[in-house]
Amino acid sequence: MSDHAHPTPAQYWKIAVVLAVLTAIEVGLYYIDRELGLGALNAVLLLILAVTKFIIVVGWYMHLRFESSFLNRFFTAGFVLALSLYAIVLGLLGVLVIRGGG
Amino acid sequence: MTATAERPSTTIFKRPKSTTGIWSWITTVDHKRIGIMYGYAAFFFFLVGGVEALLLRIHLAQANSEFLTAGAYNALFTMHGTTMIFLFVMPVSAAFINYMLPLLIGARDVAFPRLNALSWWIFVFGGIFLYSTFIFGTSLAPVGSDGIGGIDGNIAPGGGPGALNFFADSPDGGWFGYQPNAGPLYSAGTAMDFWALGLQILGLASLIASVNFIVTVFNMRAKGMRLLRMPVFAWMSTVTSFLLLFSLPIIAVALFMVTFDRQFGTLFFNATGGGDPILWQHLFWLFGHPEVYILILPAMGIVSEVLPVFSKKPLFGYSAVVFAGAAIAFLGFGVWAHHMFASGVTPVAQAAFGLATMTIAIPTGIKIFNWLGTMWMGKIRLSTPMLFAIGFVAMFTIGGLSGVTHAVVPSDWQQTDTYYIVAHFHYVLFGGAIFGLFSGLYYWFPKLTGRVMSERMGKLHFWLFMIGFNLTFAPMHWLGLQGMVRRTWKYAPETGLEPWNFAVTIGAFIIALGVLVFMYNWYVSKRRGEPSGLDPWDARTIEWTIPNPTPEYNFATAPVVSRLDHFWHLKYDEDDEGRPVRKPDADKVVADLEYDGLNPSQPIHLPAPSYFPVLMALGIPIIAYGIIYHEALWGKLAIAAGAIISLSALIGWGIEPLEEPMEAHEEELDLAPAGAADVIEEGDAGGEEQSGD
Amino acid sequence: MTDLAHEPDVGHHDEHESTGIENRKLGMWVFLSSEFLFFGALISNYLLYSNRGGFAAPYPAEVYDIPFTSVSSFVLLMSSLTMVLAHNALSRDDQNGARTWLFATAALGSVFLGGQVFEFTDFIVEFGMTLSTNPAASAFYVLTGFHGLHVALGVIMLLSLWGISRRQNGLSEKQGLNLELVGLYWHFVDIIWIVIFTVVYLLSLPPT
Repeated sequence: MSDHAHPTPAQYWKIAVVLAVLTAIEVGLYYIDRELGLGALNAVLLLILAVTKFIIVVGWYMHLRFESSFLNRFFTAGFVLALSLYAIVLGLLGVLVIRGGG
Repeated sequence: MTATAERPSTTIFKRPKSTTGIWSWITTVDHKRIGIMYGYAAFFFFLVGGVEALLLRIHLAQANSEFLTAGAYNALFTMHGTTMIFLFVMPVSAAFINYMLPLLIGARDVAFPRLNALSWWIFVFGGIFLYSTFIFGTSLAPVGSDGIGGIDGNIAPGGGPGALNFFADSPDGGWFGYQPNAGPLYSAGTAMDFWALGLQILGLASLIASVNFIVTVFNMRAKGMRLLRMPVFAWMSTVTSFLLLFSLPIIAVALFMVTFDRQFGTLFFNATGGGDPILWQHLFWLFGHPEVYILILPAMGIVSEVLPVFSKKPLFGYSAVVFAGAAIAFLGFGVWAHHMFASGVTPVAQAAFGLATMTIAIPTGIKIFNWLGTMWMGKIRLSTPMLFAIGFVAMFTIGGLSGVTHAVVPSDWQQTDTYYIVAHFHYVLFGGAIFGLFSGLYYWFPKLTGRVMSERMGKLHFWLFMIGFNLTFAPMHWLGLQGMVRRTWKYAPETGLEPWNFAVTIGAFIIALGVLVFMYNWYVSKRRGEPSGLDPWDARTIEWTIPNPTPEYNFATAPVVSRLDHFWHLKYDEDDEGRPVRKPDADKVVADLEYDGLNPSQPIHLPAPSYFPVLMALGIPIIAYGIIYHEALWGKLAIAAGAIISLSALIGWGIEPLEEPMEAHEEELDLAPAGAADVIEEGDAGGEEQSGD
Repeated sequence: MTDLAHEPDVGHHDEHESTGIENRKLGMWVFLSSEFLFFGALISNYLLYSNRGGFAAPYPAEVYDIPFTSVSSFVLLMSSLTMVLAHNALSRDDQNGARTWLFATAALGSVFLGGQVFEFTDFIVEFGMTLSTNPAASAFYVLTGFHGLHVALGVIMLLSLWGISRRQNGLSEKQGLNLELVGLYWHFVDIIWIVIFTVVYLLSLPPT
């Protein structure tokens, strides 16, 4: 275990608060969208929030930010590969179109 | 429960200790033994798959043949493909990687020896489970829309007219299991469940192995063995492992979806319920295309090892060959829809995938030209391994060329579902992968046995294969273009396809003869073959710096590597024109290596055997049987029992003392107590044999 | 006998060409990378089918209870906190603290699982949405079902570590690596849920 550059428990708690707040915003957005109909903006904002939470957990809780770049590249590669392949499949199956198609 | 002074007393079982006898094989974690077991099991399935092929060929030798019933025919081509791919080529590649990879990189074992054993046992149980379909599987008439059997155009129960019906109750949906044909409505009964769950189990074994091999290559190389100094086979094993790692999860999901459709009423591929059959094709080929590179890359790696040795020249363009292999794998993820050109994908998609497919010809061509460049102006020795390697280059090139013709979309519409495609993939998989694998068997046979195989019988085998293989598969090119359709029980005499079909069948039996020659050669050479000594081929890479047969500990002292083809440069200098000149003390170097290899100066710690891999593996087919028969009470109990067995084994494994895995390897020599130069197994640390417990 | 206890993971990993990452840790990261392909396929399934109208009701997006799922998502997210606190405690050799946080993580994970079971039961009993209702429902249950299975396996591993620690009065440094590995697995399961919660629950609309 690499003991250097580990966040302290206090920092972990702070990160948890950030994650909780982001989740609350997400849920809030869901209800706002139901009332006001934000359209594509809703999807964009929610995805940004989700990606932010994702990066925070991976970077700090999984410690990837402080690990060797080899692990970083490996993990990212798996993610990027999955994203690309399935995006193409969904595109070919008519899912990834501007809403209204399919 | 026993406790020793040095270990926490959390062992549940006494550690197995035997080194001989069947229990030593069941509990072994030694990569060499695991590799040998993989090899024999794979070869057994090769014979089974071959018999399946011969039955098909006997049937197809005649027009309108009823040698096989239609049901048996469908089952045989399904099982032939499934067996050859998943139960022969993949496991025999695993056999090679298991045995050779640590030796090629200068390691004592793989990164996770017990996990290695787990992969092997899961594979074996998976293969047995899949083939138990011949006993337990049922293949019923499709379910009609009223829930009763009898949809038009399908085979009546019992396989229909014909002589041989024995296999009709086995998986018959093709090795690719297209939905909804292979789903619950049109393939009622349990046969396709054995197929889906069997493949699932086998995939799990390979996934686990891929993690093992990746960590091994990145972490366990000997000192000086930089990545770009590794033998090409080690590189191709790594690339293959990446392909497995990223493609198997996709087929795992697809197979779960099929199993759930068949067993639990989901609607993934049920067209009337809203399911999309094309989804299956995407998911299957997303795996299926990387899969074919998984099948070919290890054999390409073998050829890259053999050609330089028997040309007495370094591999031409080592880096290019390595990077080309990586490029093939990377591009291989992007071309899967070329298996779907006739399935209704859009023209834009067809163009894109066709173009992408053509680009794979570039790195492949680089490899082929580099192999030719290796042989060019080399001092060629036509020993058996070399014959098969050259055969690979020639046959694979032909198969690759027909593959490029498939990339041209309108041309593919003509070829698809005809024997032209069958010709293509047999040229690359048989003429390619299988020839390459045989080259490896002849080449590395001394490492297993300390003997060489008979050259005379080896050459006979090679020529029987060359003649038989080409006679079998070359005609399929024009048979296909003349319209002979794949996966079809009968062809009419008016088509004029019979004469060449008959010739093809003759070719198939010539191949079979070659296999028999090989088997006899193996059997006889193991016992009475000429002793090989350390370096029978005057080789280049470090697996040949240790005695044959390989000592249990592989390397007596961890090797230190200073350059590519390290072993070669211990024996040879170069003259002013770059030609190799044997060093005056080369023979002494070899003799010293042999002596030192057999006489380690310090005690060597090896990973101890373990029960847990085989136990954990055992739970998995039990769960699978339970899923198939889950409607019965005993099926539900089987699922629970299998899960409990595997989970308990997993926990026991986790508790099993940590001292023994590869941590206790190699570089620990300076920590080990000085003393007699014997091999200590970590499980003996407590001393005497304990009784009871 | 060799005293292997003072090095976290004895071996050649800290040497020359190796990656400098312990074997088991590298192995876990490698395995987790492959899981993206696994969950990606399941999520894609759902995205494909949740949009296709014309089949039997109800669709998952019609029956979601967002407040409920938000709470269980929050619970799972917080379990990542307790997980990392367990790892941190162990690194400071606070064995008691490590055990406490391990147990807390397992408890939160179990609460999440309980929530899933409750949610599924509700969907089946109250709304009549089963595996066989329509492909979107099939996709929903299989995706969240496999995620739940992963959580359950994680809980078992956490409790095993907790049990071993109790029995041995603490985890050795080498067993501490196992805790770190379980932690990586646990966080991964959490980030998959982050994606699922957003994409499958919040962003999913029933077909028009």
